[in-house]
Amino acid sequence: MLAAAGLALATGLREGHEVFLLGVGTAALFALLGGLALRWSAAVAVGVALLGGQQCLRLALGSDELDDWTPAIAATLLLVAELAWWSLEPRVRTWAEPGSAARRLATVVLSCAGGSFVAALVLIAADTHIGGGVFLELAGVAAAAVALALVAWVARTRVG
Amino acid sequence: MTRSATAKLGAYAALAGAGLLAALVLGRPEVAALAAPFAVLLVAGLSPARPPEVHAKLELDAERQVEGETVTAYLEVHAITAVERLELLLDLPEGIETTAPNPQLLSLHAGERRELEYELRCAHWGAYLLGQVILRAQDRFALLVYEQTLDLSRPLKVYPRGEALHRLLRPFETQAFAGSQPPRTRGDGIEFADLRPFVPGDRVRRVNWRATARRGEPWVNETHPERSTDVVIFLDTFAEARTGATGTLDLAVEAAASLASHYIAEKDRVGLVAFGGVLNWLTVSTGVTQLYRVLDSLLDAEIFLSYAWKDIDILPSRTLPPHALVIALSPLLDERSVGALADLRARGFDLAVVEISPVPFVRPGGGELDDLAHRLWLLRRDALRSSYLQLGVPVVEWRHGMPLQAALEEVRTFRRHARVTRV
Repeated sequence: MLAAAGLALATGLREGHEVFLLGVGTAALFALLGGLALRWSAAVAVGVALLGGQQCLRLALGSDELDDWTPAIAATLLLVAELAWWSLEPRVRTWAEPGSAARRLATVVLSCAGGSFVAALVLIAADTHIGGGVFLELAGVAAAAVALALVAWVARTRVG
Repeated sequence: MTRSATAKLGAYAALAGAGLLAALVLGRPEVAALAAPFAVLLVAGLSPARPPEVHAKLELDAERQVEGETVTAYLEVHAITAVERLELLLDLPEGIETTAPNPQLLSLHAGERRELEYELRCAHWGAYLLGQVILRAQDRFALLVYEQTLDLSRPLKVYPRGEALHRLLRPFETQAFAGSQPPRTRGDGIEFADLRPFVPGDRVRRVNWRATARRGEPWVNETHPERSTDVVIFLDTFAEARTGATGTLDLAVEAAASLASHYIAEKDRVGLVAFGGVLNWLTVSTGVTQLYRVLDSLLDAEIFLSYAWKDIDILPSRTLPPHALVIALSPLLDERSVGALADLRARGFDLAVVEISPVPFVRPGGGELDDLAHRLWLLRRDALRSSYLQLGVPVVEWRHGMPLQAALEEVRTFRRHARVTRV
């Protein structure tokens, strides 16, 4: 909750449209708080989505320049989501494995660091000037569709 | 193992998809950068995922135990593949408790064996099957859940903890077999009975020299032979009164176990009749084997609802041997058992009724009518007891927390006075 509040507040106070962005951030915090209190995963997902939406709005309403803070924000967003879902998991007394919590925390931190790295790679790729055009736009759409299809395929084959 | 997706997997997929779509719509690569970690985590979590393979073995350090004591269960878990997060629950039936952490969380490497120890407290008597082990494993990123239930059934019999009895009820008549009870009759034995004048044929070793010297003629000792007795425990399983974990049947079973173990310890023959919706009986016998037979039958005793009329005619004649003492343990709630006990007395059986009082388990309602109904019910029970007493059957009320010995002493007192009255 602290990470989410920090992210929402920092985003809301950073540029113009403070009231609007703060409103979205507050809604995200309430959704997260409700989800954690009621152990309701859908509300947590909505809370994380609203936090992401707040960033989208900030970017849409802001300048056209690339935001250098995006990797850090992506890592924080992932950290919020990971910690929120960890909180939702049923509590098991870890007498047999006292180090499991530390291992889990290390996994979360490494995931966030990896996420930040991936976000930075995406930004670097976006900042590379290789000439625009319809073909590049199509390549971007195709890449997004392939990424989505890949996620869906992996999820279907592993879960189904 | 059954596999299912967690809510997290669906949410992350949705967040990644929505982020990538929003990036396209808004034309901002930063949005794609925000969504990318979720997509990458999904791919990283799902790609190496495969069902964990875990075997388990359960051992108990004892198959029989007494109520209130503990049994140690050893659960050996063998991971064929590495399991990052394994939640392990030993599903315990009601009546068995453990202070060990349950469920437990383990992290196992491939090929690793881990032995877990559970100290199980046998809180309530009964025949149990232990060993439902529920395994729940998650991958490193908690995207998938694998569940498996292992049936490692191990039987555990928990016998009721009987109470110590100093004196037992004795039947009016003994049997022909050797035992440790002196009968009314006289014969060869070591228990002194009386003195009488010497008659031809008496053994010299029976001469009481002190009495002979005092009276100037030979007198001999008379003795009681040592005989066994037959005791039939009559358990009423037609109906019970119960609140929470305790009921009249529990008390009856505990009393029956105490009586059986003490009578068998004194070399008497003991039989059991569980008279109820399901009829169950054991013919009289003695020895440790019979004790375990009786105890095992008691563990199976349960209330089985039945509307069929039953009387003692359906019992095989061998279950009720002549001259046996029948000790009935009944809450006297069902007409069929009440009638059967009266019938037993009418057939000349030596009968004593220990009434497992249902009164503490019944609370009168709040209203005036409920109060009246409760008082009427208590009066009817008093009338029932009086009718038994008129038949010469001792009826004693035994309640939870009261020593069984006190109830037996009350029966003994009644029987002693009843004999005096008859004389």
